[in-house]
Amino acid sequence: MLALLFILFAGMAIGCALAVVAQRNPLYNAIALIGVFISLACLYVTLAAPFIAAVQVIVYAGAIMVLVVFVIMLLNVEHEERRRNRLKFLVPAAVVLAAVLIAEVAFMLVSVTNPPPAVSNIGLTGSIGAQLFTRYLLPFEITSILLLMAIVGAMTLARRGGLLSSDARLIPGVQQLPLSMVDPRAAPDDLRLVETDSSEEAARLLGVDPRDTERD
Amino acid sequence: MEPQLSWYLALSAILFTIGVTGVIIKRNVIAMFMCIELMLNAVNLTFVAFASFFQDVIGQLFVFIVMTVAAAEAAVGLGIIIAIFRNRESLDVDEASILKL
Repeated sequence: MLALLFILFAGMAIGCALAVVAQRNPLYNAIALIGVFISLACLYVTLAAPFIAAVQVIVYAGAIMVLVVFVIMLLNVEHEERRRNRLKFLVPAAVVLAAVLIAEVAFMLVSVTNPPPAVSNIGLTGSIGAQLFTRYLLPFEITSILLLMAIVGAMTLARRGGLLSSDARLIPGVQQLPLSMVDPRAAPDDLRLVETDSSEEAARLLGVDPRDTERD
Repeated sequence: MEPQLSWYLALSAILFTIGVTGVIIKRNVIAMFMCIELMLNAVNLTFVAFASFFQDVIGQLFVFIVMTVAAAEAAVGLGIIIAIFRNRESLDVDEASILKL
């Protein structure tokens, strides 16, 4: 019974993974990847890890993939167009590596034996939480710092170029701007001048939408 | 017949390889990013399989931490993707061959 479930979900996982690589539309990639995550969550349940399975669905298939799909929609990504194969010289290397993979899988199937079975409650939320908050408290706290750094980093990266607020207005025409106003990395008192050739260029440097000024 | 530990390891190896292939052959940054997530998940499957067969909770704890790192990676990675798209109007990795934005 468990073997049948394994074959079913393993087949689903491999099929969806192949679709992730084969599809050219990023949105289809994302949907196939969600399929992989769901089938892996089912495999975790057959491995007696219900907590990890739930977290897999909530965090991976839920949060992370929503973020990815959101970015795909936001950037309005086109289809990846076909181009000539630029990796022709890598084909022999790929064949050799595939042979290595097949040998490895065959070796595992033949040689890895199961440890003796034992009854325990390792997959339950309680046992994971007990370990996480006692013996492995330090990695847990470090993870929280990592997440904080990720939040700050993502906000810094995704911020628009200039340091002006969103309701700033642009003066039309050619102009000279202090470097500290244009470049977020420059020192605040850096007054070297940056020359712009048009209103559009000034708008781009300042991160202001030029249509705002036309409306006024 | 019960599923053997080796089955899970084989499945994990296959998924990881598919992920590596995707990272190599894809040109779209977002697609490459998703293939990296696939590789992380293949490794997670190994952790859970070992944790289950050796009756050790540490494997599952580690999966939990890997997921947190993946979430952080998703946030920062997508921020970088948006920054690249804003500067280059393209998600092709061949276009973004200079590290400077």
